[in-house]
Amino acid sequence: MRTVEVLFVIMILLSAFFITTYFAVLPSPSQAFGTNLRELSHSTLETLDAEGILSQTVFKDPKDPAWADLQKALSASLPPNIVYNLTVYDLSTSQDGVVTYSLEHSISDAGFGVDSGATSLLVASPNVTFTEDPQKIGESTGQNITLYILNCEDANGWWITGYTGQSLAKDIYNLLSPYFTNTMLVNSTSDFELLLDGTLLPDGVESVNDAVIINTFGEAVPIPSINASSYSDYADYFYVLGQKVNNYNWTWVSIVGYPFYYVTNVNSFNITQNDYGIYGMKKVDKAGAIAFLDGLTNNDPSGLATDIKEEIGVVGLSSYALDRCNYYGIYPNQNQTAARALNNATLLGAYNLVPLELFDRSTAYPNYIPAATYRNEGGGALTAIGLTRIPDIRITALAILMYYNPTVYRSEFEVSGTSRLVTLQLGQQGGA
Amino acid sequence: MTGATIDHLISLTILIAALLVAMMTFNGLFASAIDYDRNRQIANKAIDITNTICLSPGNPPNWGQTNDTVSGFGLQDPKAGGYALSPYSIMRLNTASDDSQLVYYGGTDTYYNNISTSYGHAILTPLGDCVNYTTAAELLGITGSYGFSVDITPTLDVTVSPVNPEPLILNVNVTGSGLPLSGATLNYNLFHIDNTGPSVVVYSNVTQTDPSGSASISFDLGDHNPSYSFTVYVSLGGVNGVGYYTHNTAGDLPFVLPLIQDFDDGKIIIAHNWDITGDDRVHATVFCNATFFILTSDFQLQEYPLNFEPALLNYGEFKFFETQIPSSEVGLLVVSYKATGKLGSIILPWGFSSLGASASYGSGLGSGGYDFVATELRQVKIDGVSYQVKVSTWSLGD
Repeated sequence: MRTVEVLFVIMILLSAFFITTYFAVLPSPSQAFGTNLRELSHSTLETLDAEGILSQTVFKDPKDPAWADLQKALSASLPPNIVYNLTVYDLSTSQDGVVTYSLEHSISDAGFGVDSGATSLLVASPNVTFTEDPQKIGESTGQNITLYILNCEDANGWWITGYTGQSLAKDIYNLLSPYFTNTMLVNSTSDFELLLDGTLLPDGVESVNDAVIINTFGEAVPIPSINASSYSDYADYFYVLGQKVNNYNWTWVSIVGYPFYYVTNVNSFNITQNDYGIYGMKKVDKAGAIAFLDGLTNNDPSGLATDIKEEIGVVGLSSYALDRCNYYGIYPNQNQTAARALNNATLLGAYNLVPLELFDRSTAYPNYIPAATYRNEGGGALTAIGLTRIPDIRITALAILMYYNPTVYRSEFEVSGTSRLVTLQLGQQGGA
Repeated sequence: MTGATIDHLISLTILIAALLVAMMTFNGLFASAIDYDRNRQIANKAIDITNTICLSPGNPPNWGQTNDTVSGFGLQDPKAGGYALSPYSIMRLNTASDDSQLVYYGGTDTYYNNISTSYGHAILTPLGDCVNYTTAAELLGITGSYGFSVDITPTLDVTVSPVNPEPLILNVNVTGSGLPLSGATLNYNLFHIDNTGPSVVVYSNVTQTDPSGSASISFDLGDHNPSYSFTVYVSLGGVNGVGYYTHNTAGDLPFVLPLIQDFDDGKIIIAHNWDITGDDRVHATVFCNATFFILTSDFQLQEYPLNFEPALLNYGEFKFFETQIPSSEVGLLVVSYKATGKLGSIILPWGFSSLGASASYGSGLGSGGYDFVATELRQVKIDGVSYQVKVSTWSLGD
């Protein structure tokens, strides 16, 4: 009798297995490698246009021999197992502002299998000059918003592997300064002290209110020498920093990793290191972020050191973020690894912050936010990019532009015959 | 009673067996998912590393043109941006997979990294100025977690073969991905070594490949057994390549070797090859001369006047000549020489792409034995020449 019962159990187990395998279609481990065609396509288009030859060719008549040369160049430069389809569209705008893409020409060498990747490149006619004029952030609301980039020569970075704070400051300056009326590099921790006191001002600017402060030193935050010697617990420094962000209505930007994890000043901490051999830095640990949030939201210091991060793995940019990538012409890899995603319950629940998120949340970790700008209703905001090193500064630029959403005024790029969209789709033969 | 016990035993045995089978099956299912997740992380890391190498110039941005210590690793050309690699930074990579690939010169008591082309032409860089694999991995933040290798190879395959010595006829054949490249423009230069000096006389012209991707080029040099080097730059539809060939009447092994002494100042030393290799085939005093040609963006050559007087170089004395080339200009240093009454030449490509060199970085470690190796491929330009960069990445963890 019990044998019969056991047979029933086995049947239930088998049923469970078959149902699980039927509904849970897990990808094969070999399918993990699926984004390279897009990147290869991008680099192919860019290198073909390096001397402007692609731009010249796509505006020529489809019978022109230059098209045959382009096809030969494509065939010669791609590996034999990669097939391609290059399509060119002409852009035109109707009276009511609707942009239409009409097919001009297409070249390909074979049909595609299931696996393909594509990118596009907007090329301008060699005979037309375009202008692009970004709206200054704050202009539409009458605010005079200054961009401050921490470029302190007496500070060290952490989790900015491959870069220095200074090199990142230069990159972020090139990316974002066109969107701001005033951009100022904060070149030392002494200058940073002036900024915290509200007296570091560009010419013609009356206050530091509403500014954007970008910390290029990763998980470490520069600390003025006077603060380094006056505080015994550096979480208190981050609490005061949070209060300043609130009072001045700043947007504080942490470009990578766990925010407010270290303080850095190479002179004050010349014999102190961060447990990984980087001197000029002192660990504050998890208490730093909590203290900052307490200050930002005008709460009393809680003194907590709660861990609010989680390693959630690979996440993808949201559709809105991808749309903004196209709008601002910033193209980071759309899949990123979030190693320091922040807890939804803490930021939105306990501190009532309002997030503008960059990535779709992981289905396995729906309560953790990979990267977002968190606005405090009472003033101030925190942009926390909880991705892993190596930092991609373009993600930071995207977060700022998504938050402030400045308009970009482009001149007549949609007039027919002046711009063409070139798409290159690549496929891999011999299986997906 | 006995029947019930047997019933219990049988049922328990079947139940345990069924549970074990179920656990193993589900375990296999989950293991596959975990493998997928781990492979995806490696694939993302491969993209990350490739982007850093191809789209970041490193720090300082012009580190390839200086002797400075590198504090950020990247190979992008800071002047060009995008998918353009610096022709200088790659010259500072330690590409040797073991010590046998290094070149030691007693005259300077220095080991040199050897990025070889063929015909003996090589970029020989002081090992102390090179960035080794361990440093690069540290700067990329992947020490102990990921391994990587970088292969940089020309997109086009340009081969040059001699057909006839007098008149000199050379056949150029151009292929890409195995396909012949017809209608390609060829900018070619012949460096004929003249007995006087010995000096270099340059013959340049332009032609096109035929439908089979070949071109036959002839020169009337009035010399039945000429010594020469030949370079050809190929262009078609935005893809560019380089090919070259050398013929020395003094023998295949060059009598002298140009070695890079200082990146900052462009100092080059010219040493006797016997002092380096000890090969008896080059056991002779050599009379040498040096000429530098700047390579322009449209693949034309412009001669640059060097502070160098033709002179006699003895073997066995570890003496060398020093000259200085413009370090910020990509080009070719052609060293012409005469030994035992015969002529020859050797070229130092200043700039990785000037002679279409290729390099493998980190390949000595190898990815063998690892379950999953993610490979990223990118098209790049190096000083206008089309290259492909292949970055392989694997996890060093379990």
